[in-house]
Amino acid sequence: MITIRGVHKEFSINGASVTALSPTDLDVSRGEFVSIIGPSGCGKSTLLRILAGLEKASGGAIAIEDGSSSRQRVGFVFQEPVLLPWLSALENVRFPLDTAGVSRAEADNRALQLLKLVGLSGFEAALPRALSGGMRQRVSIARALSYDPSLLLMDEPFGALDLITRDRLNDELLSIWAQTKKTILFVTHSVEEAAYLSDRVVVMTPRPGRIKSIYNVSLPRPRGESTKLDPAFHQLMAELRRDLI
Amino acid sequence: MRGLWRILETVLAIAAIIAAWELYTRFYDVPDFLLPSPVSVWNALVEAAKGPLFGHLFYTVSILTLGYAVGVLLGGMSGLLLAKSARIERWLSGPILFLQTAPKIALAPLFVIWFGLGITSKLILIVSLVFFPVLIATLVGIRSVDRRLHDLAQVLHLSPWQRFRRIEFPAALPEMFIGLRVGAVQAVVGAILAEWMAGKQGLGYLMTFATATYKTPLLFAAVIVTALLGIVVYQIIELLERRLLSWRNQP
Repeated sequence: MITIRGVHKEFSINGASVTALSPTDLDVSRGEFVSIIGPSGCGKSTLLRILAGLEKASGGAIAIEDGSSSRQRVGFVFQEPVLLPWLSALENVRFPLDTAGVSRAEADNRALQLLKLVGLSGFEAALPRALSGGMRQRVSIARALSYDPSLLLMDEPFGALDLITRDRLNDELLSIWAQTKKTILFVTHSVEEAAYLSDRVVVMTPRPGRIKSIYNVSLPRPRGESTKLDPAFHQLMAELRRDLI
Repeated sequence: MRGLWRILETVLAIAAIIAAWELYTRFYDVPDFLLPSPVSVWNALVEAAKGPLFGHLFYTVSILTLGYAVGVLLGGMSGLLLAKSARIERWLSGPILFLQTAPKIALAPLFVIWFGLGITSKLILIVSLVFFPVLIATLVGIRSVDRRLHDLAQVLHLSPWQRFRRIEFPAALPEMFIGLRVGAVQAVVGAILAEWMAGKQGLGYLMTFATATYKTPLLFAAVIVTALLGIVVYQIIELLERRLLSWRNQP
């Protein structure tokens, strides 16, 4: 699905060259849920932004093999919801479809389905400012799914939410992932989140960022409350924590 | 009920001022050409309304609307251009700052010499007063669009036009309205001043005519009509703002 070979990123601050991302290799297969974890400034967000085309890599090669024939757009969920404040929840979800020239009826239909998927039925007409932080992020996820990208990039999507909302959204994300079979690349700095959600966890080192190790998560699916009691889950979190220091 | 009471309060306040004014002119027997009584202002207004007042008002509204529209269009487009090109802004920000702070009203007589006594010099004065506030507001508005919205546009592969139409323009609109309001007030001042300088039409001309012929009640009537015109213009802009930016006030 994704093949990353020797991708690196340098930029200069006042003439001094700073390495944001050391040459990185990573493969992600179709339908996989991969988390990238590391301290702030390790380049994990940079890697994601390069994949989304928001930043240019200084070198290396990326191949994103996309099964769909529609305009190659990856789904991207930002740390903040980044909704258009003058559009309703429904219009925000529909926005990518409107700008791609999808017919009104079809776009409405799809947006309604997605709002239902993220548990926001009944809030179609609400403006973002009337929604809670968790609800806004749900709208943002629905928007990223609206054009049915096979790859979903998520950049600390729940980092700004309280723990209770975060736990609930983690479960919802797993169910959305199970239903839509997207490939998800998920950046976080929460060890628990990474261990709970992923098939694999990529640990990165601080400046200059590079991949330190990759963990396979063999916890059974579907995951839920029982996963959180599983000793293997706690074992994995402990290992990840130790690795991060 | 509460709204009604507030309107009543305003009406009472205005009535009190007019009453005090009337009493003062009666009590001290002030001559009409110094300070006309409200009654004689009213009479002058009624008389003018039967005569040429609406013609003058129509003329002022025409050049005001035309000048404002051209000023907003040019100011908005220039602001967008400057916001989009750092190089153009580097070149032009100095001259623009200079022109913006330069008192254009002092240059108004020169405009008449440069562009003649006709409508052109009047429009140029109005446009020059509207242009800068709109330009600055547009520049600031487009510049202050959230970076993350630009990221969204990039992720969604929006075309430059879609980016402008769907994201930048609506996002900049609240800022732009600040310029549109300032510009509207300036446009009224500019229109009156332009008619004051030259020509035989408009409320500004009516004022110079009234002053020159010592028809002070007529002067007051023209001033009141001008003030009312300013209020109407401001209200129109505000109504437009409430309509277009309703998303900011909804619960």
